[in-house]
Amino acid sequence: MKKQLDLMDIQGNVLRAYGRYNFPLARYVFINIRDGARGRDFLKRVTERVTTAVSWGEGPDPIQKPLHTLNVAFTYQGLKALELPRASLIGFPMEFVMGMRPRADILGDDKRSAPEHWDPIWRDSRHRDRHKDVHAWLAINAQTPAALHDGYEELLQLVHDTAGGVLVLTGHRGDDGKENLAYQDVHVLFENGKPTSKEHFGYTDGIGDPVFEGMPSKPERVVGRGKQMKDGTWAPLETGEFILGHRDEAQEYPSAPSPQLLSRNGTFMVYRKLHENVGSFNQLVEEEGSKYPGGKELLAAKFVGRWRDNGAPLVSAPDATSKAAWDDRFSRAAPLEKDRMLSGFTYNDDMQGGKCPFSSHIRRINPRASLEFNKDAFDTPGALSNRRRVLRRGLPYGQVNDPTRDDGNHGIVIMMLNASISRQFEFVQQQWINYGNDFHAANEKDIILGNHGDDDAPSRAVIQVEPDSDDAPYILKKIPRLVETRGGDYFFVPSMTALRMMAQGIVDPT
Amino acid sequence: MGNVSNNAYALTCLSPIKKGHYSGTAYSDEVRRRLQQWGLHEQSPMAKVPQTYLTRFFVLDDVYYESLPGTDFGGTWYDILSIFSDRFRRAALPKEDHLESKYLVWCCNLHGDMDTYLRAMWHSIGDDIRSLWEFCYGFEDVKGADTFVHYIKQCQLSASLFFVGSNDASLEEQLKGLYLKQEFSRFAAEHQGLPPAELQQAYRAFIERVQPQNLAGPSWRPGQSRP
Repeated sequence: MKKQLDLMDIQGNVLRAYGRYNFPLARYVFINIRDGARGRDFLKRVTERVTTAVSWGEGPDPIQKPLHTLNVAFTYQGLKALELPRASLIGFPMEFVMGMRPRADILGDDKRSAPEHWDPIWRDSRHRDRHKDVHAWLAINAQTPAALHDGYEELLQLVHDTAGGVLVLTGHRGDDGKENLAYQDVHVLFENGKPTSKEHFGYTDGIGDPVFEGMPSKPERVVGRGKQMKDGTWAPLETGEFILGHRDEAQEYPSAPSPQLLSRNGTFMVYRKLHENVGSFNQLVEEEGSKYPGGKELLAAKFVGRWRDNGAPLVSAPDATSKAAWDDRFSRAAPLEKDRMLSGFTYNDDMQGGKCPFSSHIRRINPRASLEFNKDAFDTPGALSNRRRVLRRGLPYGQVNDPTRDDGNHGIVIMMLNASISRQFEFVQQQWINYGNDFHAANEKDIILGNHGDDDAPSRAVIQVEPDSDDAPYILKKIPRLVETRGGDYFFVPSMTALRMMAQGIVDPT
Repeated sequence: MGNVSNNAYALTCLSPIKKGHYSGTAYSDEVRRRLQQWGLHEQSPMAKVPQTYLTRFFVLDDVYYESLPGTDFGGTWYDILSIFSDRFRRAALPKEDHLESKYLVWCCNLHGDMDTYLRAMWHSIGDDIRSLWEFCYGFEDVKGADTFVHYIKQCQLSASLFFVGSNDASLEEQLKGLYLKQEFSRFAAEHQGLPPAELQQAYRAFIERVQPQNLAGPSWRPGQSRP
């Protein structure tokens, strides 16, 4: 029998990007646990309300889709505050124990992305006053504003009932220069009154999340989302790349704390609030787009590797003519075929980057099999990418009032889930986003996400052309920093079993 | 010979460090301490030695080897016989092997002939050489360039350990190559899209400035690692 995951034991946010399931709104609340016993009581009541990954409305005794969801994850300090046994605590990976702030050098969170510029809640966490440490993330995703309100009120009531055992932390930045909000709101962006999957630069986001063994997903969706095999077919990635307690791509169990019941079906989550410098982005697209032979929209597509309007991949639609044909096919395609058109591609016919540049965002975060510069170098062509994949969850926040300005409250909260933060998220961030050597692109960075703006050596990127072309490559000679980090941390997302054990205080690693 | 690749030479040299101490600090630790006082890149004394591509020094404390258990002569028999005496059990345990002394290891990729290189090294940084090798066996016989060449050859390991990242051209040519690569990519970025006539004019001015054929003209300095 094919592997099936215990969907009722895995938290819902691990398997679902709620935004894609008609939950356009979300609110993230962060707490500090002042008292271990009352914190565990709180966790018990939270756990009863946590949304699992179960398939809604299916089977003999179906669980209905809720109007609002609830999910929970903990920092290392939070696990300590809940008084997890020391023998369990010491089993957590070092980067999780350290948290995101001291990893700034590795992550390239420098200059305007440095921790001193983060939202107050993140600037103060794990800094001087332990009462300001972020201990847990509580997320409500909702189908309607009323449902969001209800979910939030229920949560506040649970906090209130702890009589000071648990406190909601403030310090999120919001609209109109607010610095001290008690929650982070995120929402899909609307265009002409209709929800979209766009972010503030205008790109279609959230395409091509990895498919792994055991997911309740149609087998066809594996194309372009799983791992590429030698014969050209696709297979799901191993579960252990994303969920603890399962075999990973190295045929090993990911390193995880004991006991097994604490870690199995849990995972690690990176929470990052990223401000988008919309003014700088628009200026770059306008200025360079007026000179770039392919025009403004193609240049914007070259930054990411997909066209902004519908996410058409550049390898399948490298110019305006092929894009028109692609759009025509896309408009008539069935949903599964649409998914295949968006995700099911390789870089096999673009090894020189003439279609999708080496420094474009999607080629950097998932190079697929294109790092295999010599064909047949590995057993599976994507061997160098398969262990660097992350599940991406998240939604935009705020809105752009003046598209010529960088300041204001607009960006994206991105949450990345993986079995190893250092091997997966941190590696991609350090080696592929902020450095170009693996792509034979010297010190070029990911055009969108890179930490550009070192004035001693302006950040450049080359938009390659086809090897047989008579055109010259186009050089972006001074890329400004388009995205700035505004805070975040590393979290452990326990399974339902682990949450129940933690709430009862019966985690026993002996 | 395996350590020559056209005009590039890969030198690997292991100099045993004496047992003893320098005012209470073990000789090997003192050698390491002195090495750690050397600067990196342009600040390294080695940047003053002509024709050095890349070089690295370190102190090797030990190389530890442990045999597989029970693979010695009589291994399986000893295992069986150990029910009679613990002596047999011990005989079946893995064997250990260690180095007899600690070593100063010097890996160096250089251009041209080794004798010429070592002589030039002695004349450029003789004091640094004396200070670094002072506590190595046999170094007391080194009195000048000739004896230094002889000493290094005695310590030389026949190994073709080349660093990746350079070819066999002279150091001056390689530095000029790095300089030209940086300057040319800057030129390409700053002048893209110009009409052909203007581009040609700018390119002429560029060539005049960077003087590609003139190794004594603008270039990188030995030891330089960033533009």
